[in-house]
Amino acid sequence: MSQVEKKVGLLRRSSSSKKPLKEKVVLMYDEIFAKEDPSKHNPRFWDELFLMKVNLEYLESKLESVDGEEVQRIQDNINSLFHHCVQALGEEHQIKVVNALQTLCALFRGVHQKNKSASGFDIINMLMGFDKAELRMKDLMERLDSLLCGDGSESLKSLCLKLLLCLVTVTDNISQNTILEYVMINSIFEAILQILSDVSSRGQHGYDAVVLLALLVNYRKYESVNPYIVKLSIVDDEPTLDGMGMVVHHALTEYNRQYKAKEEESQGGFFSTLTTMVGNMFIADADEKLSVQTNEAILLALYEAVHLNRNFITVLAQSHPEIDMGVTSTSPTPTTPTTPLGTTPPSLDAMNNPELPLDPNLQTSNLLITFLKYASIVMQDTKDEHRLNSARLCLIILTCIAEDQYADAFLHDDNMNFRVNLHKMPMRHRKKGVDRNIPCRPLVCAVLDLMVEFIVTHMMKEFPMDLYMRCVQIIHKLICYQKKCRIRLHYTWRELWSALINLLKFLLSNETLLLAKHNIFHLALLVVNLFNMFITYGDTFLPTSNSYDELYYEVVRMHQVFDNLYCMVLRVSTNTGQWKEPASKVTHSLVNVRAIINHFNPKIESYAAVNHISQLSEEQVLEVVRTNYDTLTLKLQDGLDQFERYSEQPKEAAFFKELVRSISLNVRKNVSLNTMSQDLLLKEFSTIS
Amino acid sequence: MGDAELELSPSHPEEPEPQQQSPPSPTPSPSPSISITSSPSLSLPSTPSSGPHHPSQRRSPSPSEGPGASSPPLDVISEGTGELTLVIDPEVAKRACQEVLLKVKQQHVVEEEGSEENDDSPTITTTEHGLPNGDLGSHGSGVAVKGGVVKSPGIREEDDTSLAKNARRRQRPNPSKQSWLLRLFESKLFDVSMAISYLHNSKEPGVQAYIGNRLFSFRHDDVDFYLPQLLNMYVHMDEDVGDAIKPYVVHRCRQSISFSLQCAWLLGAYSSDMHISTQRHSRGTKLRKLILSDELKPTGARARRDPPTLSLFCPSAGTVTPLHGAVAGGLGGEHSLSPSKRTHQRSKSDATVSVSLSSNLKRTASNPKVESNQEEPVRLTPQREFIKSLMGIGKRLATLPTKEQKTQRLISELSLLNHKLPARVWLPTAPFDHHVVRVPHSQAVVLNSKDKAPYLIYAEVLECENYETSIIPARIPETRIRSTRSVENLPDCGITAEQRAGSFSVVPNYDNDDEAWSVDDMGELQVELPDVHTNSCDNISQFSVDSITSLENKEPVFIAAGDIRRRLSEQLAHTPTTFKRDPEDPSAVALKEPWQEKARRIREGSPYGHLPHWRLLSVIVKCGDDLRQELLAYQVLQQLQCVWEMERVPLWIKPYKILVLSSDSGMIEPVVNAVSIHQVKKHSQLSLLDYFLQEHGSPTTEAFLSAQRNFVQSCAGYSLICYLLQVKDRHNGNILLDAEGHIIHIDFGFILSSSPKNLGFETSAFKLTSEFVDVMGGQDRDMFNYYKMLMLQGLIAARKHMDKVIQIVEIMQQGSHLPCFHGSGTIRGLKERFHMSLTEEQLQVLVEQMVEGSMRSITTKLYDGFQYFTNGIM
Repeated sequence: MSQVEKKVGLLRRSSSSKKPLKEKVVLMYDEIFAKEDPSKHNPRFWDELFLMKVNLEYLESKLESVDGEEVQRIQDNINSLFHHCVQALGEEHQIKVVNALQTLCALFRGVHQKNKSASGFDIINMLMGFDKAELRMKDLMERLDSLLCGDGSESLKSLCLKLLLCLVTVTDNISQNTILEYVMINSIFEAILQILSDVSSRGQHGYDAVVLLALLVNYRKYESVNPYIVKLSIVDDEPTLDGMGMVVHHALTEYNRQYKAKEEESQGGFFSTLTTMVGNMFIADADEKLSVQTNEAILLALYEAVHLNRNFITVLAQSHPEIDMGVTSTSPTPTTPTTPLGTTPPSLDAMNNPELPLDPNLQTSNLLITFLKYASIVMQDTKDEHRLNSARLCLIILTCIAEDQYADAFLHDDNMNFRVNLHKMPMRHRKKGVDRNIPCRPLVCAVLDLMVEFIVTHMMKEFPMDLYMRCVQIIHKLICYQKKCRIRLHYTWRELWSALINLLKFLLSNETLLLAKHNIFHLALLVVNLFNMFITYGDTFLPTSNSYDELYYEVVRMHQVFDNLYCMVLRVSTNTGQWKEPASKVTHSLVNVRAIINHFNPKIESYAAVNHISQLSEEQVLEVVRTNYDTLTLKLQDGLDQFERYSEQPKEAAFFKELVRSISLNVRKNVSLNTMSQDLLLKEFSTIS
Repeated sequence: MGDAELELSPSHPEEPEPQQQSPPSPTPSPSPSISITSSPSLSLPSTPSSGPHHPSQRRSPSPSEGPGASSPPLDVISEGTGELTLVIDPEVAKRACQEVLLKVKQQHVVEEEGSEENDDSPTITTTEHGLPNGDLGSHGSGVAVKGGVVKSPGIREEDDTSLAKNARRRQRPNPSKQSWLLRLFESKLFDVSMAISYLHNSKEPGVQAYIGNRLFSFRHDDVDFYLPQLLNMYVHMDEDVGDAIKPYVVHRCRQSISFSLQCAWLLGAYSSDMHISTQRHSRGTKLRKLILSDELKPTGARARRDPPTLSLFCPSAGTVTPLHGAVAGGLGGEHSLSPSKRTHQRSKSDATVSVSLSSNLKRTASNPKVESNQEEPVRLTPQREFIKSLMGIGKRLATLPTKEQKTQRLISELSLLNHKLPARVWLPTAPFDHHVVRVPHSQAVVLNSKDKAPYLIYAEVLECENYETSIIPARIPETRIRSTRSVENLPDCGITAEQRAGSFSVVPNYDNDDEAWSVDDMGELQVELPDVHTNSCDNISQFSVDSITSLENKEPVFIAAGDIRRRLSEQLAHTPTTFKRDPEDPSAVALKEPWQEKARRIREGSPYGHLPHWRLLSVIVKCGDDLRQELLAYQVLQQLQCVWEMERVPLWIKPYKILVLSSDSGMIEPVVNAVSIHQVKKHSQLSLLDYFLQEHGSPTTEAFLSAQRNFVQSCAGYSLICYLLQVKDRHNGNILLDAEGHIIHIDFGFILSSSPKNLGFETSAFKLTSEFVDVMGGQDRDMFNYYKMLMLQGLIAARKHMDKVIQIVEIMQQGSHLPCFHGSGTIRGLKERFHMSLTEEQLQVLVEQMVEGSMRSITTKLYDGFQYFTNGIM
């Protein structure tokens, strides 16, 4: 025993020096860690234990310090403690419930700290005993479920969620957390949904619930049947889905707001710029990183919802005024689904509805707009790994959205126009905030703007090839939709064309450097094929006949880039090497672009010669283009409007695994903090009841 | 004492004794026993009937003051269950009414199996029964004569009214004895219009009570037209009229939710001009409260309407009626799960249910989603709440400064509203029964108005047999777009849920990724290329599809760049002329789009679009505007349209339906395929004639000529309307032009005695600008002369039926503070404008003068200029 004490003393440096009087609860913990059954001498031992304020640190460190043989010895007592914790959750006395929840938290954490390397089965055995495990966990989950769904205190519910988050994140790799197998069997999915569907509980616990759900969905996602995935994929209750959307919306809005505040602060003048620059090195940077990290969890939740649930797509377009939503005002749904129109007069609650305030300055927003703004911030800087992950996840979400027919429908809905102020990186050659006055346009324009913005701003040595691929694919998917549905979007396509051409230019000029790391031919092929889409199918989706002329103008104007690209791919494809095949694909795809250049260039030159003009104006070139279409023959290429559908399974699995790991670590860190601060709250709570 | 029994007895078909009819005989006869069995309430009315009419008059004020007093007697009326009420309200009318109702009830008992419809007026059937014992009538008529001619105060009104009723339906052997009034009442010519007129003009309680009863015999639709008049009389005229009307109103309220709500809204609106203190205690307010308290429901199975209704409709939901069969079949399992009684409760998804059942979750009470809520539906509430929500949106929109913000807000508010649909709600302006299933929120537009925020919404509805009893369609999630063709896809909605649930528990290696994306969106699209624009350009659509198929044949396909470019410009040219989107005038684009086109487009994007009874409706929601004048104008227009139709004058006008919800809110049925002349001119930048040429073709084409004819006929119609009603504020924003060339005047905010305070602009009789004349082909051309001739014919026809028009306006003047009744000479002025004294030649001169005057009128031009400068209206 003394040996143990000493160890503890070492761990608890602060208290070791004083050798203080031991709290009663600590003594009781000691009894548990003794060999004998603590209730043997004191039949009311367990009752009393849960009346004591939990000493988490002590309990955890005690658990950690237990070594091999001792485990065998005290396993019965720990099993008993676990059992009684679960029992105590059903107590009427709320103090006992609170203490039991915290004790459980400590148990899960302590045992895992101790057994980092050990297999999950040992942990289960140590906590519950193999034979009882199933029963115990079933009890635990049922108790938690009824606590979460009952009318009990809000802080109790919050604590339940913390416990669950704690349980889910005790291991770095969520899939190695064997206890979760029981959480799969005894689903708490419905409890989470209920929290999300209810206005007030969503306000208070929504964030935790959504993060919990996102994590649970990722448990052994690829190896086994995860009931949470299945259930999430078929939820079609709008208030619930909306609730989920609101939580995500809220979190992203909050991030955007913080970013904006910071940005405005930094624009406050030279001195403040300087100070924040200096400050950023130390504090703000870390601070910012933290906020990005916290949002990765929410972004993952958004991804899972968009990816798994078709009905969630509607939530994206569910508009509501853009506000900093307080805890009370996070509901888009005034009534629960079961109440008929009548029981709560909607007009009345709509009139007094806090979430639709009558502020004339509010711009109506929706989740998608908020998400786009968020993405525009995150994508600005992808050097940091967390930000890179966030940006990647944003693009993956956009990929899913671009593939969804319903989402495309509302993205292109001519009647749903919005102003979307995307954040743009300040760059040398362009001033910030010039284009504040963005017109009201269909949402797809904002998506395209974002893509163009990304293409323009990330041509750097650390080339984010993966992000570029996704970006170009998103554009391609959107154009495919437009072509198929014959939607003539009034978009300044020219910006896109010139961005794409510049991208090709960048690839060419950094060929050697990039080729060492990436297959640039794949990206080049995608870009050229985008042009082929415009060239061969432009008649189905371009807004004006002029825009088709402009396309030719742009291609002819930048013919140098295409010529160089052709030379390059020809060169690579004639050599033998790993790039032979992909390069030759690009060669073939260039056939129409080259035809156009070869057709019009001489015409333009002769026009200039005939008219004795050295430099043709744009109008003149367009005139030449217009008059010479008929003699140009193009080749119809196959499969331009085909694309590979997004699928998570083989390609993205590694990314998500890592992402979930980092989120787990982060959540664990934050949960532990929160649980401690929760103590304060609970103290207050204990005096009331 | 025995009078009541005696009166009732003739109504029973089985009553054999004509002798019982003699009114003064108080002797109990064998017949009462029969009547007692059939109607337990008989003992009740006998008490008051013993007294003459006067006591009842004295007594009646007292019940109207007691809070609950008005309802109990009504129960008695309808049920005939003999619930004894302490206060007897308007016995006279009540008893008479009771009798009618009793007949109707018996009618239903006897003929229940028959296929008669609900809105069969009770009289028709009564007549059939009355006929066999025709000789009864002679006695009855004798009494009636006495009542009608002598009009002695001692005569009990119930005698002559009820008996006259019977008598009216019989062959009367000795018509000589009848009063001219009664003969009129009984004649075939006696229609609702006359009934209303007599109700309004007659000071005689007997006549009023009679007419009150007589209302039961008219077709519902006919009476409904005069509902504003009836209710205005009820609110503002004396007791007798009110008493005469009330039983009818109550009766109808019990029958129909829609009627109840109409009444409640109108009563509220027409009471609003009263002083606040009197208003609180007024009859109108009380009746309104009664209706809204929903006590006037058809009670249980005894309700005279429900038993036949239910027996008719219930089985049909499953199999019988093709309409219902189709709907139920179409929706597959979802219907079988949902109880037919369900109101607006949203259908819970089968998937959720089956999963929560299949998984080992024991959640029941704690999860609200699994709980089912099968309470008795609240009768009026859903519709009231629906309307209230729409009004709330309007109020909130008004606070936003820009059109753009309003539009965005409107869209977001409506998307929230969608969550509660489908429900047992409907648009009252529609001509058929339906349930609103979805509001395509992104289609809604804010209309042009300076400070209010009227807006136009489209509503997807499913037509049904009866909005009260038909099953509410199940909710289909928004994302489940089925497109138009895919009815065959439907059954799998139900199956997939089970499959999912099944595969979850059974199949171990379950590829969830695939399942989540089971519907290949893009693949679907591939097949269903919209076939709209492809007609003109087959090549490219082939190409688009070819790009997939041509993978096999390796021969390269060549296309000419010129073709692509040409197709592009061709397709752009082929799209119908649309207005350009303008954030300041969002409605222009929306209204310009042809209705058919819009309906098709919305249907394609709707999850309900595949259902066979899908319809698109639209309605303008006005908040903060008094629509009572609009309603009055609608009635006058409607009446004149009838008159012109009857007289075969080809004048064209388009009365649009108005729903008055209160004195400052309401709904308007939009005129489809029409945009305002202001919008036409602003967006097309053409003169009216040039616009006609652009839209309909050159002046010699069939299309142009018919458009021109339409224009002339509508112009003539509205010129007369504008003159007769003195419609003012006629700027181009208030005149619509429809796709067929008709003009339609809207906004009757300034009519009769009111005009906008605009320094005496608009002094001409009506608006006839030179542009209008140009469209008619110019002055003194055929069409222009046709225009004048039409006006003359129209005026002559209108003059012939002046009373019908005057009456509508006159009754509404009662107790009204509407600006159109300002001053004392409103009715006189209106009458004068019909020029009864002029000969037809003189009328012709008058028309010429008016046309000349309007054309020359400088003030019209000035007013347009004024509007342009002040409101930017061209």
